Formats: sequence, structure tokens, C-alpha cells
Amino acid sequence: MKFDTIIIGGGLAGLTCGISLQRHGQRCCIVSSGQSALHFSSGSFDLLNCLPDGKEVENPVEAVERLKLQAPEHPYVKLGKEKFEELAGSVVEFFSQAGVSVTGSACKNHFRITPMGTLKPTWLTLSEQVACEHGDRLPWKKVAIFNVTGFLDFYTQFIADEFHKLGTECVLREISFPALERLRKNPTEMRSVNIARVFDKRENVDELARVLKDGRGNCEAIAMPAIAGLARTDVLECLEREVGTRIALLPTLPPSVPGIRAQQQLRRAFEQAGGVYMLGDSVLRADMEGDRITKVYSYNHGNIPFVARDVVLATGSFFSQGLVALPGKVYEPVLGLDVEFVENRKEWYDMNVFAAQRYETFGVKTDNEFHGLLNGAALSNVYVAGAVLEGFDAIKQGCGAGVSILSALFVAEQILRK
Amino acid sequence: MNLQEHNVSDNNFEQCIKCTVCTVYCPVAAVNPDFPGPKQAGPDGERLRLKKNNFYDETLKYCLNCKRCEVACPSNVKIGDIIQAARIKYSEKKFKLRDFILANTDLVGTLSSPFAPVVNGVLGLRPTKAVLDSVLKIDHRRVFPKYAFGTFESWYKKNEAARQSSFPTQVSYFHGCYVNYNNPQLGKDLIKVMNALGVGVRLLDKEKCCGVALISNGFIEQAKKQAKMNIEAIRESVLAKNMPVIATSSTCAFTIRDEYPHLLSVDNADVREQVELATRYVYRLMARQGVKLKFKQNQKIRVAYHTPCHMEKLGWAYYSIELLKLIPNVELTVLDSQCCGIAGTYGFKKENYKTSQDIGESLFRQIEACDIDYVVTDCETCKWQIEMSTSKRCEHPISILAKALE
Amino acid sequence: MMKQDTAKPFDVIIIGGGATGAGTARDCSRRGLRVLLVERFDISTGATGRNHGLLHSGARYAVTDQESAKECIKENMILRRIASHCVEETDGLFLTLPEDDIAYQAKFVEACSQAGIRAEIIDPKEALRLEPSANPSLVGAVRVPDGAVDPFRLTASNIMDAKEHGATILTYHEVTELLREQNRIVGVKVLDHRTKEVKSYYASVVVNAGGIWGHNIAKLAGITINMLPAKGALLIFGHRVNNIVLNRCRKPADADILVPGDTICLIGTTSSRVPFEEVDDMRVTPEEVDLLLREGEKLSPLLARTRILRAYAGVRPLVASDDDPSGRNVSRGIVLLDHAVRDGMEGFVTITGGKLMTYRLMAEWTTDLVCKKLNVSAKCDTAEEKLPGSRESGEEVGKKIISMPKTQRNATISRHGDLAEKLARNTTTLDNSLVCECEEVSVGEVKYALNELDVHNLVDLRRRTRVGMGTCQGELCACRAAGLMSSLHKYCTRRAKEDLASFLNERWKGMAPIAWGDTLRESEYMAWVYESVCGLTLSQKQE
Repeated sequence: MKFDTIIIGGGLAGLTCGISLQRHGQRCCIVSSGQSALHFSSGSFDLLNCLPDGKEVENPVEAVERLKLQAPEHPYVKLGKEKFEELAGSVVEFFSQAGVSVTGSACKNHFRITPMGTLKPTWLTLSEQVACEHGDRLPWKKVAIFNVTGFLDFYTQFIADEFHKLGTECVLREISFPALERLRKNPTEMRSVNIARVFDKRENVDELARVLKDGRGNCEAIAMPAIAGLARTDVLECLEREVGTRIALLPTLPPSVPGIRAQQQLRRAFEQAGGVYMLGDSVLRADMEGDRITKVYSYNHGNIPFVARDVVLATGSFFSQGLVALPGKVYEPVLGLDVEFVENRKEWYDMNVFAAQRYETFGVKTDNEFHGLLNGAALSNVYVAGAVLEGFDAIKQGCGAGVSILSALFVAEQILRK
Repeated sequence: MNLQEHNVSDNNFEQCIKCTVCTVYCPVAAVNPDFPGPKQAGPDGERLRLKKNNFYDETLKYCLNCKRCEVACPSNVKIGDIIQAARIKYSEKKFKLRDFILANTDLVGTLSSPFAPVVNGVLGLRPTKAVLDSVLKIDHRRVFPKYAFGTFESWYKKNEAARQSSFPTQVSYFHGCYVNYNNPQLGKDLIKVMNALGVGVRLLDKEKCCGVALISNGFIEQAKKQAKMNIEAIRESVLAKNMPVIATSSTCAFTIRDEYPHLLSVDNADVREQVELATRYVYRLMARQGVKLKFKQNQKIRVAYHTPCHMEKLGWAYYSIELLKLIPNVELTVLDSQCCGIAGTYGFKKENYKTSQDIGESLFRQIEACDIDYVVTDCETCKWQIEMSTSKRCEHPISILAKALE
Repeated sequence: MMKQDTAKPFDVIIIGGGATGAGTARDCSRRGLRVLLVERFDISTGATGRNHGLLHSGARYAVTDQESAKECIKENMILRRIASHCVEETDGLFLTLPEDDIAYQAKFVEACSQAGIRAEIIDPKEALRLEPSANPSLVGAVRVPDGAVDPFRLTASNIMDAKEHGATILTYHEVTELLREQNRIVGVKVLDHRTKEVKSYYASVVVNAGGIWGHNIAKLAGITINMLPAKGALLIFGHRVNNIVLNRCRKPADADILVPGDTICLIGTTSSRVPFEEVDDMRVTPEEVDLLLREGEKLSPLLARTRILRAYAGVRPLVASDDDPSGRNVSRGIVLLDHAVRDGMEGFVTITGGKLMTYRLMAEWTTDLVCKKLNVSAKCDTAEEKLPGSRESGEEVGKKIISMPKTQRNATISRHGDLAEKLARNTTTLDNSLVCECEEVSVGEVKYALNELDVHNLVDLRRRTRVGMGTCQGELCACRAAGLMSSLHKYCTRRAKEDLASFLNERWKGMAPIAWGDTLRESEYMAWVYESVCGLTLSQKQE
């Protein structure tokens, strides 16, 4: 199978890179071993919320310079301030062309609402989610918070209490109607996605609109879990039109309906641009010639290899098995690239689960063009993007999505420049 | 210390980190609340069953073994295998005549095929359907595949066997029950395509039904027996005669390659790589050796490719799609990969009819919305389901290819 | 704030909510005494909840300590009868591996029969057939009546029986002072950790059943008991590898018992002395993990390929003989100290030493002594009367609960025995929704635990229901349980979030020592969900 570029990993980084390459006339194949972490997304993408020294970031573009000293291997440092600003500035348009509509700016973080009701800084937020300008108040005085009766992955009381602290009055309401009763027969499957499937049906949207309208009282906005619009993208629009009130969809515990829809939308954009997406396959090994990978073999395709000029490794971190940890070692299992880690396991962790965990910064070593290193030497046609990279802590620094997107765009540029 | 370097238990259910992705892609859980869902029925349930076997729940029978959970799983957990293996290990289901009939596709085919016109007529009659429904619990709304008058095997032996052995390169064809009893034309189409590529098509010395229906209906011993016989015949072909084995049915190919070792413990490691789908074989031949097919300048046809579940699992839809793209004047749409709901004999059962049709609904809608002449797919049961549930006809990619050849 | 409790005094105050304290509360209350039990945290938080959960047959002690062996087998048979819902009758095998001396086997069987323990030499092949996970290179096997016992359930059930007989149970009440009148202890001063109130309670006798912490309690009375904290680390594996307890047929040593318990199995233990300062925060070191794995693999090679869920450690209260302050001569037997005789301090008794297996016997001895002091002649009936939950067989209970899906019903009955019926009463389909999917804990079960089982936070809930004890270690269920608790319990959400944060930290404590492979993936996923998506942080706690 001949392609211009083969991308290993089909999450945010892989898809971003793939879409970018396809748009510039390349023919790419993405091989993805299972669905990606977008399935647990909050509905927002973070760029840089916090520096390693703990200082909060308001303007990521300005703050990125300071990473040089604090985290010299950080992917953003490799990009440099100018490139960082240029790429970050292009993302809203990039996503919108792919059918994913987001708002936000790289020069000023805004705030998203968490499932706990708190406000957390972020970069881009999907249009149907709420992007708040300020971190200490909500844009409403009074909100009606709805939840589906018996839906355990959304906590109205938590949210209401936090909203109160932010000066917003709340009333709590329940959504309960017959189309959902059937789901309830199953003790586990009252999940966000299955509820969303119910609301993908027109007649149920109308019914939901009635419930919301009846219950909203004199509230200026309605907040409800993000359980609307899995297959359809216009559910929220329909609801808002029918109810006549701004409706804020708040993230739930996994699975994340907005995240899944974003993933599906990006995949569709990639495929519509002519890309080939192979799900549920794993790359097993590669043939090398000098400093190049010539062929890549996968589980499903056995003796028919993928042949491509360039290879992008975007396999994710530990969760996605882009990195594998053994008791005294961390390695990259697909191509065996060099990985930055410390051997002593005691140093991997902080015993406080909410403190920075050092293992989060482990990852694949690259040069400044994001070529992967093998035994210390850069491979000329192998690029690395996304969470598998070394040098950053996606959780503490709030930069996971940003690293994925920007490194993927940068890698695509490098490939296209050849 | 390397003690824990591979801390992955048998059937790897502990790699599940409860991310819930599988529950998003289960076609059954989405429509039938009686099914516990892949996470619960699979890795979560397995842990409980290992504690005590009374945690086995008969509702696992609602799993249609589409393996879409496995394709979606970011942890490589063999969720479908875990569920099917649990059914094999723990189910104490009693023998049902209905399941026996549905499972023994080759036996029933052998009995029906000589009387095809009669059988087809009778199966289509309302009174027959009423009896099937009430006595056997085979849903009366189901349209049965037609039996052919005379089997593919007998046709082949009479008309083709000698000619095919004269080709310098030869492959063995695992035709499966469907081609043999219902649609010999597909077998003939395959011969046409392969011959055009300079390859002769032989049959295995002895072919039994791949056993997929036996497995899903719980006739495991019989399935094992047939699997062993098939693997013996495949070994004879691949190892002794140096002839790889190709199939036109994605489910037969998948069953022989993956279900034999995973569910029946029938080892196929020495021949697995040599069992593949016809479209993959053709693709490779054309890609690697530059062999070209000569096409007629046909009238333009519009087709939509449907990816069967087992094709999704194999990851081989690519080959069928690429072949279709080669045919001049074929306008191809690729449908969203989703389950049609039939899953072999699953949809024939009265208790599953609604689930089956509910699962397929979204696919049917997409098909009806397309302006196409045919749906194209590699799976015969998907074909039945699509033809029964939509207004479109459904063809195998090899048949489309054959029709386009000069 | 200081509050004087003016209610009528109790006959006996028991300090400590482990198995021994709970058993003593049960025994005393059944003999008609007015009982108060105070516990500084939750029940079974000390050594009771941090051991193998092995229902010893006594075989392990037969060669080295006949007295303990005899006590064990006797109590073993009693617990099978009175606590059937806490016990799994798995049997045990003592394996002789090629590196072990096979001659020990004969000595072992002889000692077992002397102690009255059925010990049957079986063919190694038969042993492998019975327990396919056992090391296939074994050269000898002896079958004994070992089993598994769930210490959380056992303790909770004793507490429940005590309450049924009028006992007052106060968890999260820490004894800060022993109230003294001349040479007599007359009561306790306690700090209520939840309300921060200080209260005093009076009784004729105060029983110190504080386990290793009993050392400090005795100090409050100015009495020294020479206790030696002995740390024992264990590993919990993700599922049941074995269904029969596996032991090594040799002199007891480190990591030579593999016990199947509920959905998991666990290997232990190590043994090391630790200073008193550490007993409140036991952590398992990488070296201990390595040792447990190395030795565990010898019992069952499958362990090398099985995911570890967590590591934890408990502290045994070893007591040095009074005439040996060096601590070299320790007893693992039951130590009942009447401080009136030993130290001239009236109204104060310490019960310590012993083991989970003999908790009932320890309670019986203690209650006998208390009764003697109070001139009560009632006889002990705790060996005959069944505990709540064990009064009806699981099959019978199952027939009465039809409203629950099958797996959920089995799980609930296995946890609550005949009390599952009460739990299932008046439940709706809403209550059947699962909070914890790994362990099949429903909304209904959580509600029951909150209403009936003295649950004050998520960790308490875990001990009563196994919420968060499954493969995901709370990743999915902790948040659901917290949400549910805040909506049912009506405690403020700030506390619910704090509680959630400390629950996750408690889970992490057990995961960190073995956080590689899938456990590290799970940890990363957990951090994404709770920190990144939910925005839960430490500051939640500091607010």
C-alpha cells in the first residue's frame, strides 16, 4: 500500500497532521489502534494554563518564552515563540474548515465550566459549550440546571454550589420522560452517549424542548449535561430555538459526547479530503534503510506493508500505549525510538495524587524539527507529534491539546517543505 | 526485574482501564437494554465469572459478535472474544431445534439445494413462515436467502475442474456455504476474475462449513471438528501444494483466521497468513506484480460500499474499495462503517428481530438516501439484510469486477 | 467546645473498632451489658482490614505453635457456621516445591493431626487438577481446611449485632484522655472528629482493643505495654488467579500465602519491624513489591503475568513478654492484660496480640473478664449464634430478590448475605443503576450503606460495599458515589469534593508502588478525568 505519509495514531495529533497533509495534496494513511483520548474530552482544548513553576498563564503566547528556562525540552520551546504564535493563530480557521467550530484565542485564555461546576482556563472551546471570559464569574445571574433523572455522570448539586460561589443563582430541575425509561432497564448503559442517541431523534428533541421550557422559570440560561447531538449537529440549535433561551451544555464524566463528535468530524474531514483511516490496527514493526524507515508492517495487513516517504508517530502517551512503562523502564513500543525517563521508579511519582507526577514528562526524544531519535541519531523521515513527546506535563501545565495540535501542524509543514 | 514485563493475563481483560469507549460503539447496547453492554458483559463480567461461575448471565447471547468493541478499544482488549468464550464456557443452554437448523448451514443446504425451486417457494409462503415463527421462533418477517438449483461444487467438478488445473499459478477457493448452496454465480465470477489474472481456481480437497453459525449457536464440539478438518485441508493446500487459500466471504475468512485459534483453540499459526480474501489477493497481485485487468467501457454505475463488521475487524475493506476504484465508470460512495444488524443467524431469531432491524436502521437510511445502483459488500448475510430492508440490490465486489471485465 | 455527656453511664467502653473491639462489643451486649464502642476512624481501619483475609486452618502454625494452631482450627469451624456470608470455604494447599525439603511434609501433617486439623497428602497431579494455577513443578501437596474471610464484612456484622443488642457505636471518636479516679479508670474523653466536639463517657470497665495503637492508649493510663509494630506488606492482584488458598509447606516465611478473596487474590506478607512514628502511614517500598512478586511467582507462576491492583501494608501488634523488654521473645498468641492485677489500675483491661482468626475468642476472654469484674454471670453464646447476614443461605435469599439483574443480585448477596433482602426492599429501577461497575455496586446498595451501616465518607463506603475496590480503583465510581452521597446525605458539596479528593489520594497510595504497565495507564487516565476534565485540585481541600 503506497502513501505519501503514514501516520501512526489517529487521535487529535494524528488527525490534525493528516488533514493538513491531505489539504496540501498528499495521500496519507492513518493507522489507529483503537479510539482516541478525544472520547474523554472536556469539550475544550488547552494551550498553556500554567508554567512548570506553578505560575498561572493568562496569555500563552507571552508565556511560552519562559518555558525555555523551566522546561527546555518542551515541544513549544522547540517550536519557538514565533512559530508557536503563527501555528496557534491558525487553528480556529483550520478546525472550522474541518467542520469543528471553536472559539478562543492564543493570546488570552478564557474559562470553561468543569463537570464540578468550577471554572478552568482554556484555549479553544467547542461552540456549543460555554466559553466564559472571566475566571471569577459566569455570564448569567440565574441559571436553571437540568439533569436526566438517574444519570450518574453529572452532578447538579456540585455545579449549583460552585455557581453560587460565582454569584449565580441556580434552580435545579430533572428531565425524565418515557423515551429514557427503556434505557433505565440496563443498570450500566444510562451513559451520556446512549442518552444522546435518544435525543438524536427529532420527536424526543421536541419533547425535551417542552420540558426545558416548562422548567426554566425566569432563568436567563439553562445548563444541562452535554448529552445532545451525537449523530446530529443541530440538536442544540433546535433546542435553543424552541425554548428561546441560551442553553449551556456542560461536560460529563466519560464518555464525552462533544469529544466523540469532534473526533468523528475530524475523521470525516480527513477522509473527505481523500485520506485513509484504518481503525483497530496496530503497527508491529518497520523496515529501515540507513536513517529512513522504508516500510511499515501492521497486524491486520500482515505481509502487505505500508510504503510511504514519511512516517509520523502520533501514538499518544501511556494511556494510548504510545509509551509503555515497565517496573524500571519506559519505552516506545512501535518503532523503539529513544525515550527520556529516569530509571528509579521512586522518582516517577509524587505520593500526592494531585501533585505533578514526573512520569507525565517522560516521552520520545526528538530534534528541533521533531525527527524521532534512534540511538541518539535523528531518523530523517520519521516525525513525532502529540502526547508521545517528551518534556511537558499535559495535566499540570494544561497544554495537552495544544502540544498535539501544534506539533502535528509543525510536522506537516516539515513534511511538505521537502 | 522482569517478572511483570508482560503482566497480561489470558484473554487480556485486565488491560481494560474502564475508559467506556467500547460502550459507545456497541450496536446492540444502543438499541437493546437487555444486553449488559460490552464492558459489563466482557472484561467486567469476566472478573466476576472468575470469582464464581454463577455470575454468568444468559443475556450475553444478545452479543452479535460484531467485534466493533474490539476495533474501538484503545487497550487492545479482546472484548468480543471474552464474551463469546464466556458463552462457550458457561452457557448451559438447552438444545434447540431452531438453533440446530440455523447453525448447520451446510447440512440444510445439502438437503435443500436439490429441491431448490420447491424449497424457495415454500419458504416464501405465508403459512410456512407462520409455522417457522410459532414453532421454531424464526421470525416471520425475515426473507430467506434463495437456494440455488444444484451446488457450486457439483457445477465446478463437472465444468471447471480440469481447465483450472492447467493454470501455472493456482489458488484454493474456500467458497463457503453461501456460494455453494445459494449463490454459485459469485463462485463463477471469482473464477472469471482470477483466470483473467492468470490464476487458476481450485477447490480444497474437503471443505466443511467454516462453523461461524455453529459457534454462535453454541455447537462448539461440532464447530471444532469442522475447524480441524478445514485446517487440515488448508494445510494440504498451502503447505503441500503451495496454493494459498482465498475466500469471498469476509466472515468465513475471519472465522478461519481468528475465531479458530481464539474461540475453538484450533491452532492455525502455520497457515493463517495464507488464508485471505479474494479482493486482498487480487489487490496484492496487481500492486506488487503490476498485473493489469482489462475492463469493458461499461455504462456508468453508481455503487456504495458497505463495510461488514468482520471486514472492519480484519481491516481489509481498503482492498475491496481500491479494487472498485479501478473499474472505469464506477462511481463509488463509501458508506459509514456500521453494523447492518443481521450478524449471520442472529437476526433470523424471533427474539432478535427487532434488535436486528433497529441496529440496521441508520445504515438503511443512509443507503436509501444514496442515489446508487447497487450496494457492494463482501458479506453474504449483510447482503440478505440490506436487500430485505432497503430497496437496493447488493452485490459482491468480485461480481462487480467480473461484470466489468472484457 | 467541651461537652459533658450526662447520659447514664455504660457498663463497658470498648476502645477500637477492629475485629476484636467489634467482637467484644457484640459479646458484651449479648450478655446484657450496656456497651459503648469508640473508634477514632472507621471500623476495621487498622490491622483488621490490612491482612490476608485468610481463614486460617491453623496448619501454618501447627509445627511452630501448637496452641495457636488449635485455637485457629476451632475458630475456623465456628466462623464457617456463624459468619457464613463473610467466609468462603475454599480449602488450602501446602505446596512443597523442588527447593523445599520434602521431609518437612511428614512433620507438618503429623503436627496438623495433633492439633486436630484435617491434613491430607494428595498427589501433585491431583493438586494441579484442583488448583491449575499452582506451580506445576510442585513435588508435594497437602490439603487443609483453609478458607477466605472478609474482615470488613465480619467486623461490620459484629457491629450490627452489637447494635441490635443495644450497643452504642461511635466512629470518628478518638480517645484523647482516660478519665481516672485514683487508681481506677472510670471513663474516656473523646474528640468527635466530625463535629470537633470533646465529650466524656463513663463506664465501670474500659477495654483497650486498640491494636498497635493500644500502646498509646495504655500510655494515657500511665501504663507501658511493650508492643512491637511489625509491618506486613501485601499485593492485591486484579482478579482471582487461584480458587484454593496456596501456602508453602515449609517453616513460615515471607510472601508464602496466596489467598483468593472476593474478586481478587492477594499475596503476602513481608515482615519487618517499624518505628511507632510510622504506624499511621504505612507505605510499601519497591523492594517489598519485588520480594512479594519473586516469592509469589513460586506459588503461582501466573502472578508474573497478572496485573497488580495495589500494594498495602498492615501493622501487627506483637507484644513482648513482660519479663523481656528487649522484645526478642514475642508472642503471636492472645494477650489479655487485667491492669488491676498487672499494674494496680482498676477498671481497665487491654486485649491485644492474637490474630483476625481468633478475634471471637479474644472477645470471649475479654468479656469473661469484664463480666467477672461486674459480677455478671451470663454465658458467652457468640460461638453458636449466627451473625446478621449469615442467618439464611445465599440461595434462599436469592429467591426472594427478583427485582435485581442477576449479576447484581449475586454480588449484593455475596456482600450482605441475608441482609440483601432488606437492601432490596422498596428499591426501584433507579436504584438498580450501577455506581461501581467493576464490583456491581448499585445506587440501592450505596443508599443502604449510607442509611444503615455508619458510612460517613467514600472510604467508609468502600469498606462496606467494595465501591472503588475493582480494577479501576475508583476512576469511574468515585465521582458517582460522591455525587450520590452529597445528594442523599445532604452534606455540603465542598465536603463531598474534599472527600473525593482524599479518596483518590488513598487509592493512589496503593497504586503508586506498583504503577507501571496498565496501572500507570489507569493512573494517567484517572488524572485526566479528575484533574484535567473535572478540575479537581488540592486547593479543593484548602478552600
